[in-house]
Amino acid sequence: MKKQIVRFTLNGTPREFAVAANDLLLNVIREQEKLTGTKYGCGIGECGACTVHVDGRPVLSCLKLAVEAEGCEVVTIEGLAQGRELDPLQRSFLDNNAVQCGYCTPGMIMIGRTLLDETPNPTEEEVRSHMRGQLCRCTGYASIAKAVMGAGEYETKAFRMPAE
Amino acid sequence: MYMNTNTRILAPEFDFARPASLAEAFALLRKHGRGARLLAGGTDLLVQMKMERLSPELVVSLAGVKELDGITMGDGLTIGAGTTIQSVSRSPAVGARFAALREACNAFSTVSIMYMGTLGGNICNASPAADTAPALLVHDASVIIASAGSERRVPLAEFFAGPGKTVLKPGEIVTEVRLPAPAAGTGSAFRKISRVVADISQVCAAVSLVRDGARITGCRIALGSVAPTPVRVARAEAALTGAEGTADAFAKAAEIVAEDIRPISDVRASESYRRHVARTIVRDALQTAWQRAGEGATK
Amino acid sequence: MLSTELKSVGDASWRKDGLSKVTGSEKYAPDVSVDRMWHGRVLRSPHAHARIVSVDTSAAEALGAVCLTYDDVPKMRYNERIVSTPPCLYRDRTVVADKARHVGEAVLAVAAPTEELAERALRAVRVEYAPLQVITTMEQALKDGADPIHDTVLLDGKDVPIRNNVAVQRTIDVGDVEKGFAEAELVFERTFRTSRIYHAQMEPKTVTCRPEIDGGITVWCSTQSIHNTRILLGQIYGLPLNKVNVVKVALGGAFGSSIQMNSVTPICVGLALKAGRPVKIASTREEDMHDHVRYPSQITLKLGVRKDGTLVAGEMRAEIDIGAHNIQAYPFLGGLGGFWASLYKLPNMKYSGRAIYSNKTPSCAMQGFGAPQAHFAVECLMDEIAHALGLDPVDYKLRHYVGLGGTFWGQGPASKCIIRSDGVPELLRTGAEKIGWDKRPKPGSQTGRMRRGIGMARGFHTSGVGHAKASGAEMIDYSGAIVKLNEDGTLDLIQSLMDHGGGTNHAIAKIVADEIGVPGHMVGISPCDTRTSLYDVTTHATRGVYAGGAAALKAAKSVKAQILHWAARVLDVLPESLVIEPDDNLGQGVVYCPNLAERRMTVGDVARYLHINSLGTISASESMRQVNCPPAYVSYFVEVEVDTETGQIHTRRAALGSDCGTVVNPALASGQLVGGLSKGQGYALIEDNHWDPVTGELASKGFWVDGKTPSMAEAPLADDIMTHFAHTYEPTGPFGAKGVGEAAKNPAIAAFANAVHNALGIRFYEVPITPEKVLAALAGQEAQQRDTSKGRARTAPAPVAE
Repeated sequence: MKKQIVRFTLNGTPREFAVAANDLLLNVIREQEKLTGTKYGCGIGECGACTVHVDGRPVLSCLKLAVEAEGCEVVTIEGLAQGRELDPLQRSFLDNNAVQCGYCTPGMIMIGRTLLDETPNPTEEEVRSHMRGQLCRCTGYASIAKAVMGAGEYETKAFRMPAE
Repeated sequence: MYMNTNTRILAPEFDFARPASLAEAFALLRKHGRGARLLAGGTDLLVQMKMERLSPELVVSLAGVKELDGITMGDGLTIGAGTTIQSVSRSPAVGARFAALREACNAFSTVSIMYMGTLGGNICNASPAADTAPALLVHDASVIIASAGSERRVPLAEFFAGPGKTVLKPGEIVTEVRLPAPAAGTGSAFRKISRVVADISQVCAAVSLVRDGARITGCRIALGSVAPTPVRVARAEAALTGAEGTADAFAKAAEIVAEDIRPISDVRASESYRRHVARTIVRDALQTAWQRAGEGATK
Repeated sequence: MLSTELKSVGDASWRKDGLSKVTGSEKYAPDVSVDRMWHGRVLRSPHAHARIVSVDTSAAEALGAVCLTYDDVPKMRYNERIVSTPPCLYRDRTVVADKARHVGEAVLAVAAPTEELAERALRAVRVEYAPLQVITTMEQALKDGADPIHDTVLLDGKDVPIRNNVAVQRTIDVGDVEKGFAEAELVFERTFRTSRIYHAQMEPKTVTCRPEIDGGITVWCSTQSIHNTRILLGQIYGLPLNKVNVVKVALGGAFGSSIQMNSVTPICVGLALKAGRPVKIASTREEDMHDHVRYPSQITLKLGVRKDGTLVAGEMRAEIDIGAHNIQAYPFLGGLGGFWASLYKLPNMKYSGRAIYSNKTPSCAMQGFGAPQAHFAVECLMDEIAHALGLDPVDYKLRHYVGLGGTFWGQGPASKCIIRSDGVPELLRTGAEKIGWDKRPKPGSQTGRMRRGIGMARGFHTSGVGHAKASGAEMIDYSGAIVKLNEDGTLDLIQSLMDHGGGTNHAIAKIVADEIGVPGHMVGISPCDTRTSLYDVTTHATRGVYAGGAAALKAAKSVKAQILHWAARVLDVLPESLVIEPDDNLGQGVVYCPNLAERRMTVGDVARYLHINSLGTISASESMRQVNCPPAYVSYFVEVEVDTETGQIHTRRAALGSDCGTVVNPALASGQLVGGLSKGQGYALIEDNHWDPVTGELASKGFWVDGKTPSMAEAPLADDIMTHFAHTYEPTGPFGAKGVGEAAKNPAIAAFANAVHNALGIRFYEVPITPEKVLAALAGQEAQQRDTSKGRARTAPAPVAE
């Protein structure tokens, strides 16, 4: 199938990809760019594992044509940390033991971040409502809810990852 | 051969276009006829395409058509068809005046889908379970349907033609949803029952009441997931119009709703369950709307 | 070692894989890609039961695809779950099927350069089916003259005929059940049903296989056991095991669904070998949902008691609709009976279990194996008996449970042990206090729309499948571990044991650190594969920490002895005079002689001394089987709120207790309990699967939208889920530890059913307790109350037959 060039900013870097009209954003990110933090879970918008940010909003990348990303700012879980510094929500997930198998974690963190951007100190009800579309089969969610509610605490406490 | 569905990729091939204006979009639709499909949020179209219920030759993204986006407040409210559900739910113009619509938007399955999906997309899919449809029906909405060189206005009640079917003709685009200003003393509410919160409704209902003191002077009741299209229940509306707004009257109206709807049994719920809970949510919604109408009147 | 001397065990450090998981850099099977890789797709039967008359792949091949049909695969019949020993292993399947036995059965597969092309090739394949009778119920299956789903299966090298579609039967007899029932003053009998729910693990089963130049293969796949996968692939494809390498990658949940080698794994290997290049098969969610479900159950339980509640006899009949393949119903049936036998003291018992084939998705282990099913029947019936006798269920259960000194059947009659640690009284008393057990309403006393109820259930899971017998075992159960000291004093732990996400590998690294006496961060968990690691049976039966941890502990002890040996030489003291302790300031383990304080060096110094002087590497490679299988006790108190108008049940609060011995990862162990509640709630109230009785199609068609999994919105508020741990020490476990994992879910559905009874005064004997069932039961209750008030004779509700 004929390919076309789509240009968008991926994790802060302007990029060009040759894609077909039916290529999904999820698969371009995972297969062309090898950024595999964004997961396929169900392909129909039921689990939230593929959540990325497009222009700051949460988007299910399994239901987004790559060509639609033209001119957009796309951020994946790999782009959330600033350099070697963890996003406060990532830090909060670790401290709250909100990670078990970890397969849902990137999607959880990406959607949680969009809530925190608007509401830095959300109530539990706000968290539950905002994250109702993200499935996790391991944790039972309490630790995840606490991690999102508590992320504000880490805004000023940076954690630097060890150098690569 | 449904077993070979592949939701990992979008198997069918198609062309993609992203017009920058309605005029360009109309030109594309004219050229490709029934082979073209409009893409708004994509949360329904792409699922349908993955399941191969739809296989368009051309997908026309409306993302670049800026005139479709936005909410303008005049006498009533005009909502561009491309406005996301999230924007509608947050709009102060929708706010308390159109409480049923706001509640319906907030009851959308998931937040990502609220950010991606559009109001126009939700009604054009014509799902019998579309959350916004009953709310728009009780707000007396109409849709503006445009095509190259012409425009028509269709009451929403006449817009749905069956599951997945509307009165849209090839080449037409829904551009706006218009809501008239509610009469003084109007209150509305939306309720939904689903297996889990992030799910399509088993039944959903919206009501609006116009309150004059202790009396109901106007009433609309609409439900989703109980018929091939979202429906209003005229007999229940008539029973309440002119009546006093009492718990008893609301219960009786809810009873009529349960009798008059024609739900089916499917994987989400049985016919009898739908009938049973329709009664409950209509009654609850009426009570809430009545209270809201009263609050409006005292302000 | 005293628990007060433990530094890493019990601490709250970040799990070692945490950083890679929160940054998206962790690699799971679906994230693997290798050079020159093609993509495979599996053609799955749209028929539930059909002969495959002909297959035409020419059009697919014309598109450039490589096709794998039944003619291409070895005809060897195998069982995909080689935990059982050969005499107990029922083999009924081949790589792709000779006949379709369920909708979604793999019939053939294709590989092509892109997934899109593979998809197109798949559609170009033509298969002609001759439909057979579709069997979707046990009644149909058992009927004389029903179409046989399998004519024969292979058992220990012999072809065994299958009659009336009965895959396997087991019976257990203890004491004299007839005499026991004759002594009973009251007899209670109920039939309980649980459903065939989907595992709903986040990672769909995925596999990549790369053929190597020497004729071998390298495989990356979703699995709970890389070694069992290797052995099976070696057997099926006739490859020596040193040419089959299965690589350990992170697992995105499994909950039992990858104890067996998943169906796509050998298919992918076949495709890769035929194509002569790497192939990846990534299951779609809809394929995954057609591939595995939990074992359902229909259990009739009869208990005979004296008027004071003493149990004198019991009889259980279990019938299990296993679906199209027997993924080891034999140990399932044994486990189910054994778990029943281990809940309450029962001098006379008779158990019979039967597993029956049907044309539905094959069922397999899911968190708890047969335990949730057994707990549902026993814990609900015990609750009912307590109510009938006017006893408090907590007191009643405490009086009769199998505890300290009793015999625990870890996994059926073949693995038993004496109970040496028992936190049950503490668990139940603490749970009762936290939930407010004494303030619960009287069943059926409420009248409003919203009714709250508190229910409790208790139970356990086994920790491993250990036992004392030297031969004749039914199941394989051993683990291996390699621990080595690096040249700077850090250590590598090499263990094939898979972590489902519960933090097992992290817990074991902590055990190694504490045994040797170094800070936790000094023990790294090595990536490994089957070539570089020792055998581990599989992460199942809640054996990770208890059995896998014990093997690593054994290796750590050896490494420690070697460190002491060399340090003693350098420091010129006797090895027996030295201790090793972690020094947080130095970030090192320090070896010193308490009697001669100046005689000290770090573990790093020891390592450097060995290195510079070419004295070799300190390492140990150990393998072991636990000879015990201690119960990991658990307690569940839940509060529900029932909306009597919509029938919806909301979980409001829970107090969950675990007796896992020494708690190695406190927050993660607590997380296991909370996760168990979420899955248990889904199992009890929401999740189900239906197959069309005519076509045998899965009603959800494999779309997750209709295989509902609870989200955060269905969970109680975070602070309303309370967890607590018993203060026990298991003498046979590493540092006193037992398991947690599966126990965290086992009593859940019983607790929910008991809570609903407390709220409504109605007993439910079938899960899920859906809103529709609640409304129907409430209508029945209302009709009965009307009849009663009109003075009509009550239709006997009596569960009690004297």
